[in-house]
Amino acid sequence: MRYLKTTVCAVALMLCSTSAFARDLVMNANTSDPAQKLAMEELIADFEAAYPEIDVKFNLYDHEAFKVAMRNFLVSDAPDLITWNAGNRMKVFVDLGLLEDVSDVWQAEGLHEAMPAVVSASSVEGKQYGVPYAYYAWGFYYRKDLFEQAGITSTPTTWEEFLEVGAKLNAAGITPITIGTKDLWPTAGWFDFLNMRINGGEFHAQLMDGKVAYTDERVKRVFEKWAELVSADFFVENHPGYSFQEALPFMNQGKSAMYLLAPFIVSMFPDDVREQVEWFPFPVIDPAVGIYEDAPTDSFHIPKNATNKEDARLFLAFAAQADVQTKTAATLDMLPPNINASVKDDRFAQGGFAQLGQANGIMQFYDRDTDPALAKVGMEGFQEFMQNPDRIDAILQRIEAERERIYGAL
Amino acid sequence: MFPRPIQERSRSRQLMYKVALPISLIIWLLPMIAIVATAGRSLSDLNRGNYWGMPSEWAFIENFAKVFGSSSIGTYLLNSVIITLPSIAGALFLSTLAGAGLALYKFRGRFLILALFIAGNFVPFQILMIPVRQLTLDLGVYDTYWGVILFQIAFQTGFCTFFMRNFIAELPFELVEAARAEGVGEWQILVHIIVPLVRPALAALAVLQFTFIWNDFFWPLILIQSDELRPITLGLTVLKGQYISSFNLLAAGSLIAALPPVMMFFAMQKHFIAGLTLGASKG
Repeated sequence: MRYLKTTVCAVALMLCSTSAFARDLVMNANTSDPAQKLAMEELIADFEAAYPEIDVKFNLYDHEAFKVAMRNFLVSDAPDLITWNAGNRMKVFVDLGLLEDVSDVWQAEGLHEAMPAVVSASSVEGKQYGVPYAYYAWGFYYRKDLFEQAGITSTPTTWEEFLEVGAKLNAAGITPITIGTKDLWPTAGWFDFLNMRINGGEFHAQLMDGKVAYTDERVKRVFEKWAELVSADFFVENHPGYSFQEALPFMNQGKSAMYLLAPFIVSMFPDDVREQVEWFPFPVIDPAVGIYEDAPTDSFHIPKNATNKEDARLFLAFAAQADVQTKTAATLDMLPPNINASVKDDRFAQGGFAQLGQANGIMQFYDRDTDPALAKVGMEGFQEFMQNPDRIDAILQRIEAERERIYGAL
Repeated sequence: MFPRPIQERSRSRQLMYKVALPISLIIWLLPMIAIVATAGRSLSDLNRGNYWGMPSEWAFIENFAKVFGSSSIGTYLLNSVIITLPSIAGALFLSTLAGAGLALYKFRGRFLILALFIAGNFVPFQILMIPVRQLTLDLGVYDTYWGVILFQIAFQTGFCTFFMRNFIAELPFELVEAARAEGVGEWQILVHIIVPLVRPALAALAVLQFTFIWNDFFWPLILIQSDELRPITLGLTVLKGQYISSFNLLAAGSLIAALPPVMMFFAMQKHFIAGLTLGASKG
């Protein structure tokens, strides 16, 4: 046993003495979806081809593990690059002084002009702390064949049409909307869109910043509209029992027609179903209110404690190039933030791109825009509301109590 | 004797037993069956919600090939071995020494020391996260095998010492006295008398520790960053996506990861049970 120990330890020592070569670039990432993984591997391979003297060490985590590990490695032995999300999620770490100011990269590469849509999401008090590589639109993925079966000829553009589509689908024995709320966040997509369509982007931004009470009349109006859908049996039953991925089979089996979601779902439709899937944006509720969209942005950041910041900056500049962004976003089924890059020629990417192009403003997503603790309580409330709409007053009071705890009394 | 052998029961009882046993066994094993079944399905089957029916195509080999192809699972397995074996050896070595010390020598405060070892087991290990991370950084063993190995040895020694101390205390003390009367040195007593006698306890502990350390996810997550140093528990999570997961690959990977502890258990089953029930029959 002791001999074994010595041998094993010797091997171990040899293996761990290989760190710290001059031009190692360590990147820790949470991009573990199959498409994300592929996109990152390609991006790194291209970068290494362009800079042969740099060796990228890629450490991939799943998202939940990454959240735990990140809080450890950022304050201790930080990597040179991380993947994370723009908006409030980034700001949390900026406020802790853990992310590097990369405004110089933005200046040098002219990114303010090249990526106008994501400037504000990447900025805290006028300085940029990350470089986005992809963003994406949310919207309805629906099955054309099921719509036809229910006698629906065109996609809904107004709230009335949307209710009518649901009624027709229900009459044909098809549940209009599938959703899995076990992971909570799919509910937040609904809240975001309803609030932005009813109360507009400015109000939504204020609510996300904790400047409006959740017990406000305008917030209540959002839930009145939402309750119309719940009482008209729009959603699949027992949705708190399914993760968002487990709710997808209803659509693939033809039992349900629509899913309000983002492009990472596209690769999960089996080939024959994917042929029938199309995309439409969230319908207009109040024509007087502008179009605001959720467009979550994924980006690269340099930790403050990184050792090789110089090469990390090279990587940021490389990843921001138009042709690189074209390729990365296409692999991800997402959109390139660089306006000189081209959007993948497919109906989902093009549809989302067109919708974001005509939007009056974009937000990140509920759990990326507001405080993480508030987001959790809020989304638990949304989930409960979708099961028991009559409890709305108690739910809103609970969310408001959490908002007040975090952002203070109004 | 309890439980009474089923043969002594009435015919109807025996019949009930024979019917109920397979049913409860299947219910008990359902999660395991689900994992095996999922490992043999294609992703499109899962996306269609075909979890329990006949798979449209058998994808066992394909899935396992993908697990080996798309992640460095071979390296992860090797890393698990590199971390687990020295940790077990270290914990057993230290706990035998400490256990013998506490059991054989009557000195003041020995109960307090034993109580400290036991109390250590009640500390929720998560609260050690930040101090341990800082310690490994200061020692220069952060993001190396050593960081995890040293911590596992330190943490597991508490339980092992408690276990070994009780086992050694059960041994007839006359053996030690006789050896001392013959003029045998204390070290010789430990090596030639105590260790051979506690071998069953060491074997049981080794199996137990193997499953503990092999299955540990938390400490490698905190103390290791580099992909090439990760053990299998950490490596497997890479198969879990940020949004979407290939459950079939996850299931296949989990089966691979679970195999060594299961094999270890079957190989050492006798010791394992003996270890768990050690002293249990004593009145």
